[in-house]
Amino acid sequence: MGGIGIDRSRLLLLIVFLGVALGGYALIDLQILAAGNLTSMAVFAVEVGILALGQTFVICGGDGGVDLSVGAIAALSQVLLGLVLKDRLPWELGVLAALCAGAVMGLANGLAYAVLRIPSIIVTLATMFAFYGLALVFTGGINIDLTASPPSFLAIGQGSVIGLPFQVLLIYLPVFLACAYLQLFTAFGRGLYLTGTNDLAARLAGIGVNRIRCLTFVIAGVLAALAGVVSAARLGTARPDASETGNLLSIAIVVLGGADIFGGDGSVVGSVLATMVIAVVDYGLSYNNFNPIYQAGVIGVILITSVMAQNLVRFRARQRS
Amino acid sequence: MSLVELSGITKHFGGVRALAGVDLGVEAGETHVLLGENGAGKSTLIRILTGAIAPDSGTIRIDGAARVFRNPQHAQALGIAAVYQEPLVYRHLTVLENMFVGQEICGPAGTVRRAAMAATVLPWFRELDLDTDLLARPMSSLSIGYQQLVLIAQALLRNARIIIFDEPTSILSAAETDRLFAIIARLRAGGRAIIYITHRLAEVPRIADHVTVLTDGAVSGTFSRGEISEEQLVTLMAGKARGHAPLASPRPSAAEAEPVFSVLGLSAPPYFTDVSWRIPAGAVTGIYGLVGSGRSEVALAAFGFLRPTGGEIRLDGRIIAPRSPKEAIRLGLGYLPEDRKLQGLFANKPLESNLTANVLSRFVRAPMRLDFGGLMGEARRVMSRYNIKAPNPLTVIRTLSGGNQQKGLFARWASRPFRVLILDEPTRGIDVHTKDEIHAFIRNLAASGVAVVVISSDLPEVLAVSDRVIVMREGRVVAEGWPRELGAEGIVAAAVGAAEAPRVPA
Amino acid sequence: MMSGARGRTRQASKPIPGQAALGRFIASREGVLLVTLLVLGVAIDLGSHGALWYRANVTSFLVDFAITAIPATGMTIVILTGGIDVSTGSMLGLIAALGGKLLAAGWGLAVAVPAFLLLGALFGLVNAIIIIEGAVPPIVATLGTLSIYRMLVFIVLGSAWLTDIPPVLTKIFVTTRLGPLPVATLLALAVMAGFAIFLRFFRAGRHIYALGNNEEAARLAGLDVLRIKRASYVLIGIFTGLAALLNLGESPLVQTSTGSGFVLTVIAAVVLGGTELSGGRGTILGTLFGTLIVQLVQDGVVLLHIQPFWSGVLLGLIILVSVGLSHAWHRPAEAA
Repeated sequence: MGGIGIDRSRLLLLIVFLGVALGGYALIDLQILAAGNLTSMAVFAVEVGILALGQTFVICGGDGGVDLSVGAIAALSQVLLGLVLKDRLPWELGVLAALCAGAVMGLANGLAYAVLRIPSIIVTLATMFAFYGLALVFTGGINIDLTASPPSFLAIGQGSVIGLPFQVLLIYLPVFLACAYLQLFTAFGRGLYLTGTNDLAARLAGIGVNRIRCLTFVIAGVLAALAGVVSAARLGTARPDASETGNLLSIAIVVLGGADIFGGDGSVVGSVLATMVIAVVDYGLSYNNFNPIYQAGVIGVILITSVMAQNLVRFRARQRS
Repeated sequence: MSLVELSGITKHFGGVRALAGVDLGVEAGETHVLLGENGAGKSTLIRILTGAIAPDSGTIRIDGAARVFRNPQHAQALGIAAVYQEPLVYRHLTVLENMFVGQEICGPAGTVRRAAMAATVLPWFRELDLDTDLLARPMSSLSIGYQQLVLIAQALLRNARIIIFDEPTSILSAAETDRLFAIIARLRAGGRAIIYITHRLAEVPRIADHVTVLTDGAVSGTFSRGEISEEQLVTLMAGKARGHAPLASPRPSAAEAEPVFSVLGLSAPPYFTDVSWRIPAGAVTGIYGLVGSGRSEVALAAFGFLRPTGGEIRLDGRIIAPRSPKEAIRLGLGYLPEDRKLQGLFANKPLESNLTANVLSRFVRAPMRLDFGGLMGEARRVMSRYNIKAPNPLTVIRTLSGGNQQKGLFARWASRPFRVLILDEPTRGIDVHTKDEIHAFIRNLAASGVAVVVISSDLPEVLAVSDRVIVMREGRVVAEGWPRELGAEGIVAAAVGAAEAPRVPA
Repeated sequence: MMSGARGRTRQASKPIPGQAALGRFIASREGVLLVTLLVLGVAIDLGSHGALWYRANVTSFLVDFAITAIPATGMTIVILTGGIDVSTGSMLGLIAALGGKLLAAGWGLAVAVPAFLLLGALFGLVNAIIIIEGAVPPIVATLGTLSIYRMLVFIVLGSAWLTDIPPVLTKIFVTTRLGPLPVATLLALAVMAGFAIFLRFFRAGRHIYALGNNEEAARLAGLDVLRIKRASYVLIGIFTGLAALLNLGESPLVQTSTGSGFVLTVIAAVVLGGTELSGGRGTILGTLFGTLIVQLVQDGVVLLHIQPFWSGVLLGLIILVSVGLSHAWHRPAEAA
């Protein structure tokens, strides 16, 4: 792949958004650019950012693919982790259980889509209910307190390494690199692109379209579980209703990051930049004592205007050619 | 005076001329058959006549008055209706509703008066011998043949005086075809002008009052019934191919060798039945057949995309049954699909991705890494080998000319060491120069020992590249032999089902 | 030519003789749903030893049903046109907040009720404009307004809950009954019946199906495709306004999270009712059954003393099984 799999105009747009947001806040108070504040922003963004990375692959695969269940997978995995910790088993085992559960849940989504041929939006709507339901069943609807867990576990969400938050440096960064690698440098990434662009042509070129799409759900599942682990460690609780906004927010991030909701054009780098935009907007608002809910609105506006801007660019380009 | 009269209709698409000064007049109470190969310009003519596109020049007269159609509705209002082979329908609406969308009969409150609508269509349904039970059924529950009849009823309902049939029988059964012809005869007797487009010669004597042969976008003759023999029609249709001699230096020895790849008695109804192809290595086998003859479906079945219901596929004498294109490729089969846009191109992706889509696994290095240097090198090699003109391998393929796009897709398959390579319409819609280039590449492939199959409805192409020719019609192999022996006319005659067609050698 | 590769749907080559209407109904999607509904109902009735029919339970069931059913009717229409609206929950919260403020400020119902509906129409129109004029895919556009409307809820409410809503809404919609049914439920049934009739018998209703079946053909047939789409989003807005009104009747309280997660329940009801997300196929009757099943599952687990948390699991399974089955039945005869 030449470049980083993102449209240059979109890359520019995101950087401008980022610059404007940061610059705007800096005008109000230069302190926001202090290292401590920047890392807080990052902590804020890690969990939904990881969800969005998984969502990127699903949307990229095309055929209207979206995963509405990522938040639910995060919650259920987190709950399983919590149960393991409550039993005083090694926390590593809990994390492993959570990640495996995420993979299984993703596989269930993928198989229902690829084998039963149910549109993924319906599949994941159904499993979203089911996974949240199971999370509630397992916990009896009560949050599991994890504050007494081994410090080495809590460090995942609360510790810091060479001055940077643990989950940013040792989780998000490696995951981002792995995803970018997967997307840009592997046969899977290439096959996914081609599948999302024209699945009939991809199938006739010998690409395993169904297997690839199925895999995207598994990846989304594992990453969602990882996000669940991080948030459990950060908050010191496992909540059966965790990440409820993550289902839709992760889609919004991916689209903001330049993905075509109809497939073939998503990019990991774009999703990361979009996550940063959202993190900055979010943090800046609360830093300046605005209610953080403005974040939601600003994301909505950015989402819509960015797609409209893209439409305008394409429309112009079509007129020219 | 003709009910509808076209004169001097010319149309270009990009640089390609689709129609060159076509004249055509159709009287009321007449069935006028428009006969021609694929690509002769028939569909362009219909699109002009139904107001879907405007001609570059020329006039259309209806009842003697010159008309310029503003849009399809305008043409409809002037009494023109078209029945396509795959009708445009609202699948989940009932038959009755399909006929009235946009023109419902309503009560004062805006309620749809189904009874009144049904009463209105009743005479037309009777005229077409259609059961009124059909009216309440969803359109999707009807076969294509019935859907066509419904659309004919709709045309009558809207007082169409000029009804165009666009290859209506290509996916109909024999019984459905008979019924359709009876109806067309009745419509004609009722004073309507019928324009019937086909490439099936056998249909001409059954329904035509006049026949116009269209070759390469121009009229090569208009005749009245009985004025011209089937043989002469074949000669006219093959006209383009005359002067294109069969391959100068065929390789009969190679073509006579044991087949390396064969399909034997392969069936996948309704697409094709009991088809056998024996494909030798080191030669080009041309498969000639018109659209709908099942030729691409045979290829898709061999390629693991379509599940055959019977028969076998052999490669090097061993029976194979690929369940997916992926598996077929692994076995050494390649297939360049027919429809560039739909089945081949990754339009907004770089040339390099397009060229290497089918061999990604060869460029995987541990751990899962694609060897980009290798891919780029491969792309460059292929580009220069096949003379693909693009700034660099990262150019988005959509921005290239049609000819270069097609060369790219051709190269995707041709540049790999396949044992068997099936090329489906390898040069459709591209300029003459590129066509010649691709033909030369095809000959080279054969010379290098590949078993090449070229599927085409372009007769000059088949003649230009084939060592041996197989002709298909309506899902069956109808002729097979040496191009020189069959001759252009023999091939066309077999493909269109003329009575004098050569037989399949026993 | 590509018919082979793209797959052609299975078709009867000859008209099948008419089946008995009853048989056809039972074999239809709605029939399957009705049977599911009855089985669920009987199971819950037996398992709960009649608790299903306690007055308090019936009332809350019926009102919950109404609150979901009304937007679900609008959602059915939007999905029939080939669109989708995921902003419904936030919109409900926003209308409840704005309208609730009006009520709390002492305005009478004569002002408040039209205000609820007009607000809904307005927000629906905003969605429609973004989708149609901005050419933004419906799911993206409404994902955006979902966030925006939610933000506006916070702005309107501040961080306080809105609690001083006069009980008049409860009195009208929940406590007042005509026969066995609370007014809210009657309203929902009336809306559903009205739109079932509209979709079935009115020209404009049939045009919605035509559009969803084949947008290109509908355009060529001279239908005002954009107007139909715009109207469908405005309609679901108005219905959301109505649902907000009923919601305040059921619990006279608005908080910043009011309506969040609601849209997924609505979409679940519609999808369960057999409306296809690709448009052009589905009925209000199906949505009625879909909504009842969704509510019955939620109600049933409580009555059966199963942990209420199983309702999500059950709902998910029911959606998967029912949609999976109907896809298996209607799957196009596809090439390999």
